[in-house]
Amino acid sequence: MFKDLADFAVKYALKLGADYSEARLESTTSNSFILKNGIPEASGFNKINGLGMRIIKNKTLGFTSTNHMDKEKIKKLIQNTINTTEKASHLREEINLSEEKANKDKYEIKQKINLNDVGPEEKIKLLFDAEKELINTKIKIPSRYLSLSDSLTTEYLINSDGTNILATVPRVCFFYLLTVEKDNKTSQRIWQYGQTGGFEFVKKWNIPSIVVNEVKALQKNLKFGVKPPKQALDIVAAPQIVGIMVHESGGHPYEADRIIGREGAQAGESFVTKEMMGTRIGNKVVNVVDDPLLENSYGFYRYDNEGVKARRKYIIKQGIINEFLHNRKTAYYMGLKSNGSSRSVNYDRESIVRMSNTFMLPGNYNEEELIEDVKLGIYMKNFMEWNIDDKRINQKYVGAESYLIENGEIKEPVIKPVIEITTPQLYKAIDAVANNSEYHAGNCGKGEPMQPIPVWFGGPSIRLRKIRLGN
Amino acid sequence: MEPEEISSHVLNKLLKAGADDVIVSVSRQESSQIKYSNNLINTTKTWENIDLGIFMALKKKIVLTNIKDFSLSAADDVVNKLLKFVKSASPNSEYAGIAKGPFSYKEVKDGYDKKIASLGDKSIDYVEKAINKALVCGAKRTAGVFENSVTNVSLLTSNDVKATDKGTYSYFSIRAFNSKYASCQKVGFSRMLDLLDVEKLAEEAALISKQSLNPEHGKFGKFDIVFEPLPFANIIDNLGMALSAFSVEAGLSCLKDMIGKQVANKKITIIDDGTLKNGFASSKFDAEGAPTQRNIMIDKGILKTYLHNTSTAKRFNTKTTANAGLLSPEPTNLIVKKRDFSKQELFEQVKNGLYITNLWYTRFQNYNTGDFSTIPRDGIFVIKNGRIGQPIKGIRISENILNLLKNVIAVGNKPERVIGWEVETPVVSPAVLVKDVNVTRPVD
Repeated sequence: MFKDLADFAVKYALKLGADYSEARLESTTSNSFILKNGIPEASGFNKINGLGMRIIKNKTLGFTSTNHMDKEKIKKLIQNTINTTEKASHLREEINLSEEKANKDKYEIKQKINLNDVGPEEKIKLLFDAEKELINTKIKIPSRYLSLSDSLTTEYLINSDGTNILATVPRVCFFYLLTVEKDNKTSQRIWQYGQTGGFEFVKKWNIPSIVVNEVKALQKNLKFGVKPPKQALDIVAAPQIVGIMVHESGGHPYEADRIIGREGAQAGESFVTKEMMGTRIGNKVVNVVDDPLLENSYGFYRYDNEGVKARRKYIIKQGIINEFLHNRKTAYYMGLKSNGSSRSVNYDRESIVRMSNTFMLPGNYNEEELIEDVKLGIYMKNFMEWNIDDKRINQKYVGAESYLIENGEIKEPVIKPVIEITTPQLYKAIDAVANNSEYHAGNCGKGEPMQPIPVWFGGPSIRLRKIRLGN
Repeated sequence: MEPEEISSHVLNKLLKAGADDVIVSVSRQESSQIKYSNNLINTTKTWENIDLGIFMALKKKIVLTNIKDFSLSAADDVVNKLLKFVKSASPNSEYAGIAKGPFSYKEVKDGYDKKIASLGDKSIDYVEKAINKALVCGAKRTAGVFENSVTNVSLLTSNDVKATDKGTYSYFSIRAFNSKYASCQKVGFSRMLDLLDVEKLAEEAALISKQSLNPEHGKFGKFDIVFEPLPFANIIDNLGMALSAFSVEAGLSCLKDMIGKQVANKKITIIDDGTLKNGFASSKFDAEGAPTQRNIMIDKGILKTYLHNTSTAKRFNTKTTANAGLLSPEPTNLIVKKRDFSKQELFEQVKNGLYITNLWYTRFQNYNTGDFSTIPRDGIFVIKNGRIGQPIKGIRISENILNLLKNVIAVGNKPERVIGWEVETPVVSPAVLVKDVNVTRPVD
């Protein structure tokens, strides 16, 4: 790493009159493998070495980045950034950062099986094994797209407040797209697995079993699926559905930068206002948290990209809006301390308010108990299509693997049940929360240029009462 | 050592080691962005990046790499790693080579502008003018970005391609707000600074935003819808992915086995044009070095071809459309051919319908069938007897992309250039009128 360059850059910006300066150095190596319909499409590896800086002068924020690790080049970029902030100062948003402890630390996520000790051959073999198992099912699967990737990132963060963090984070990810065909009808699923840690997690996932279970469920749905009932019914939503619901309407609307309007032209704003803090949004069984500290989670970090120590945030506590996600800027604006939610996906992106691992806390029931108490309903295990409006009110989830519930028992598969609901309706309809928590991986999109950042979303199964399905 | 010298060094080393095909590209980009919201500048950003991209095929084993690290030692490490990597890779039996040069190239017209290259912090003045214009025109708040960029690309291949290209662009977006639920977004881009009118975009956004105040909840049902160029571009962007031969093979396309068949109304002609004058994605050559070209993808509703690189073209028994993407062919500039009607004339054809100015969060239930839904964002209006009326909110379009294209009944005559947060592929499209679009909303 070029730590001395980062140290120099922070000092140099101060020398040129900056009130605050921060440098983030990134070194990442990554590998990826794709198997498309049994053909190894390509293997690849990437390498990144770059420096990103945030500089504040006269309460004006400037960002600059380069992967040309040359002192003179960096000096010039800093000078240009200072000049541009001066030019922008008459029209700038006043930037103040909350006072935070200057943390100094070094951490590394341990790998039981080091990513570098597993050769490309072994990695792609896992995909071939999955392909073989898929073929062995004899199910008609006209498209099979499997990809496995891993990365190792070392980040060095230093700022003029005295923060100095060195973090090394390995990540593994498996992604698949499968299309199953039956009687000229097709059904499709995309899903992803992701964790921080070594190759041991890839082995633990048991990729062949994941994809085989998926195609069996898709085929069963195509073969035996019935149309969902039209009358109002209860829904038991399993962890994958709960995860995406919570991410979209229990996480995003509480990002303070959206509430303030900073993402207005990109990911949008929020129906939530500062004044809604402490008001009821859901039933008292609803508890939503964002927690970067879950061991080996896809969204893990100990310090955010402003060097603030990570902690669990209780966004919704017993149905009441309890806490927004903040960086130092939004925290100052609302008279608070940052809760460590500032992230940037790479050295060449400014850090902004992001989720990490967002999930609903478990309740006291087991999943069977939720189902037992349903006369007529739907058990929605997972989904394919979903979306939500940019204020985070109007959302839709279309079930993939789903079943009818009659008199407390799971019956035949149901074809594409649609939950189309507003956020207050959704969280007020939850009457019971199970204890079977799961976490799932995704890459959340925000910022411009786009920053797809690794997150987990999850929770246990929940029960929604008296829902009328959409069309 | 200069990056271009490193390219040559890498190419020679890989060929000596037995590679059959090698492509080395170097891209240098200097960009800036002014990000603003609530009528104030949030951040000024600058980027300087150099990327080294290498593609290697050895006995049909394919390895790709992208390196943001420049030094001769790094390049040698990359070569060694590529050779080690390729040894344990598995052959892609469907691989069929890369474009065979040498080629002659034509410069992109209006592709490079010194004014953009030297704009520097004068970009702030553009943002200020646009914000002021929107406020004068009645907007209460504005948010957006103004981005400027200069790129130099050099390409070297083992098939006698040695080429360079350079380009500039300016991209501007503005979302004007009159309340939390009254807004309008406009986007524009140009490779030539003087051809981008940020104040006009600001004025248009402000006027629609003001008009969209006090929206009521929309109704569900089938509606004839006039789509502004921005939301129709969102749909065309998704179609662009379905047009790629890679997507067809991967099960990500609703256009599989549809060549020669009617996939859209005969009023729809869609062209992919990598040579387009002042086109955002126009360039002299594609990622293999093949000279870019103008391809009619859908001609009067009939699907004519997929987007190809050399390898996918051979598999489909056709010629490359010069849309490499080394792994996956990609659209360049997608053009929806303009036709007869002014926007007013489109409105006049609607008795009971909707006018949609933006879409977002388009997601598919099944890429294979084209079933999707998408959410109108910003100003949405009821059209009654040809006139724009009550603003509405809270609706969703739940449709099939082929069904929607077949139901296009009129195409406008004034194309706009669209790219943006939700539209990754540059699209040039006029407004269009689509009949019987399925509109849903949260169930009470």
